[in-house]
Amino acid sequence: MRRAYTEAQEKCAKVQEKEVHVKISSLFLRVSFGGACLLLALCGCAKAAAPQATDRAALASKSSIIFSGTVSQLAGASFADVPKSAQTIVVKVDSVAKKPAAVSLKKGDRVTVEVKDPSAFQEGTHATFYTDGWIFGAGVAVKELGHELGTVVAPVRVTNAEKPSAQGKDELSDQELIERMKASDFVVVGRVMDVRKWNAPKPKSGAPSRVTEHDPDWHEAVVEVQSVLKGGKVKGNKVIVRFPNRNDVAWVNSPKFAKNQRGIFCLNRDQSTGASAGGQQANVYTCLGHGDALPISEEARVRALLKNP
Amino acid sequence: MKAVASSRLRFLASAHLTLFLPALAVFLTMMAGLLVARGQSPAPPSITVVDLIPASLSGESNQDSEPFLAIQNQNPQVMVASAFTPNPFSMTGNAPVYVSQDGGKTWTLNAITPVQRMTCDITHAMATGENHPRGDLHAGTLACATGITLDESESNDVSLTTTMNVQSTRGNVDQPFVRALGVASGDRIYVGVNDFSQANGRTATIDVSVDGGATYKSIPIESRKTAGQDGPSVRPAVANDGTVYAAFFGWRKFDGKTATSDVVVVRDDAAATGANPFQVLKDRSDKLPGAIVVKNAQIPWSNAPAMGQERIGSTLSIAVDPNHSGTVYVSWADKGSKGDIYTLHVRSSADRGVTWSKTDLPRTTIHNATNVALAVANNGVVGFLYQQLSNGRWVTHIVQSHDGFTTSQDRVLATVPADQPVGQFLPYLGDYDYLLSVSNEFRGVFCANNTPDFANFPQGVTYQRAADFNAKTLNDGSGNPVPISIDPFYFSVPVIP
Repeated sequence: MRRAYTEAQEKCAKVQEKEVHVKISSLFLRVSFGGACLLLALCGCAKAAAPQATDRAALASKSSIIFSGTVSQLAGASFADVPKSAQTIVVKVDSVAKKPAAVSLKKGDRVTVEVKDPSAFQEGTHATFYTDGWIFGAGVAVKELGHELGTVVAPVRVTNAEKPSAQGKDELSDQELIERMKASDFVVVGRVMDVRKWNAPKPKSGAPSRVTEHDPDWHEAVVEVQSVLKGGKVKGNKVIVRFPNRNDVAWVNSPKFAKNQRGIFCLNRDQSTGASAGGQQANVYTCLGHGDALPISEEARVRALLKNP
Repeated sequence: MKAVASSRLRFLASAHLTLFLPALAVFLTMMAGLLVARGQSPAPPSITVVDLIPASLSGESNQDSEPFLAIQNQNPQVMVASAFTPNPFSMTGNAPVYVSQDGGKTWTLNAITPVQRMTCDITHAMATGENHPRGDLHAGTLACATGITLDESESNDVSLTTTMNVQSTRGNVDQPFVRALGVASGDRIYVGVNDFSQANGRTATIDVSVDGGATYKSIPIESRKTAGQDGPSVRPAVANDGTVYAAFFGWRKFDGKTATSDVVVVRDDAAATGANPFQVLKDRSDKLPGAIVVKNAQIPWSNAPAMGQERIGSTLSIAVDPNHSGTVYVSWADKGSKGDIYTLHVRSSADRGVTWSKTDLPRTTIHNATNVALAVANNGVVGFLYQQLSNGRWVTHIVQSHDGFTTSQDRVLATVPADQPVGQFLPYLGDYDYLLSVSNEFRGVFCANNTPDFANFPQGVTYQRAADFNAKTLNDGSGNPVPISIDPFYFSVPVIP
């Protein structure tokens, strides 16, 4: 206990010297220095470093890979082709809290972590790492977004973890969804009344239509707007949403609409189909980006993110 | 032969090994030295086929189609491959490329392209004019978001994770196809594009940079009237002496289903550094720049599955002998005989593209095939890569010949079911694959169904990703099953003598 307390004091001193690590500690260690030391001494590093649940959730949302593990090597790399530096450490994984379905990561694996502050770690340090992907080869290399010492006590929101199927692989994180909605002129809840093919008008210049394998095959969805979550009032409560119906790689992530589909739609004024050359058309929008059409089941999440981005 | 082998074994067993083996070692060393002294390369490597998906992405099931490959010629252990592979961890992160630093044995995924998440076309080349042992990678990428944008970019070190430096950006183009030639004064880069901004619908274009990509100049290479545009494929090829060829489909009519097209080849003898590049090769019929290899070919165009689950409409390849720039080969596909969907042809020229063989080279008329890629090795052997739909299977061939296909060696790299997996988008396998030569190897990439079944890969195969070849199943590295999908495969084949 005495030794643990000393180690905790040393760690706390480092925290003070560096004005709390760049890492998650900087976000979450909002208790006093003395209080933190006492907490560390009493509860061990894990509990002492525990952040507030809301901050942890925010960091978890930004992270694509979250795992707990033990540092096994400083200034090292876990597989060839990872550029080794003073900032790279090797961590043996104890548990995985979040990862993309495509990524193979499990207990016992050795992960290279490019950390923000290498001095915060020693061999044997146990921590939970909030990270983004970096290099994928024989093993996984990640970049630290934040960390907290010990294993996370409270469960993080696990998205897509340990699901091997392709389903959900394209799920937008909260952060990504916030960015999508920020970039949208309108976010609406609506229902698709009709879908029809739409031919872009020929340009006045007389230039011929292009023939390309990336031809979008524009279609229009007539959407009845049931509520506006972002943006002003919609005249007539109906909008035209143009979308590429082609299954070409260029448009594979663009939403495809079907009659009677209900959902939440992120809309932008049409600047993509070529029809805007003659001036803006009222109530005509595009819905092109991945995640721009969400199922109605996401309404609560969308409203929450719009309220507290 | 077996008897001879066994008698040698008996001899070895009965010999005084302590005396014999050192003597044998000296003899073999001398022979090896003699071979090298006579300019003969060591024994060629065997055929290798490697699934590019790394072990740490064993859970992926994307349609990683349309592969491409670049080799660092001064350091051929370093290679970059690409496919329609999305960023595996972020919807907003960079689209990745595959990097090998050990001659193709292992590959890592490195998210360095300037495109968000996934490209919708990417090709690249690694010229070596500058002192960058893990560069210079020059890439042409299309980003498809609200519109389609071409980025021409470079990386000086592909082992790092620095985003590639974008040197030129513009829209209104299709299918960038990058080749490069390293020279001391700066890499020369040639990007074939179908540029819809060109005047009069003469859209076949080569973007040329003679300063390592710092500046680009768009050079239209179509000199004849078109049906409003040319075909998507514009393919440059560069010889060591600076001769640059480019092939394209000159569309003369288009009815929505068929392009009536000339297969045209242009040439420049000064690395396209002059005032009016690609004008030197004129057709005898009309004296206009661009030799017509074949006139009015009927090329089917389908933006929907037409051959198996694949679309068709614009497969084209050109290759020049790197050391004898007068020898050049062209291959394309058009509608062949009745009942045939898509037929490949290979023609050649031995006089710098002035005249072309009037008929296909022997055994190069390939029915129901696409994704042609040609390359010529240092010894003049031509390699011919294609994928053929045969009896419900996609069969990937690499054919080699040293005598214009009078004789040839045909190796099947993969033969996989064509109906599985179900396509996620088009192209299913790709609008192209690729073949290059380096030293005594042909190296290339193709895409195929990734079922781990040795019967599908007659030359053998190595998977980095978790796979059970007994059960013929994939898993995510933790034992959970992963559905089959389309993966990119790298291969190396020794060049025939």
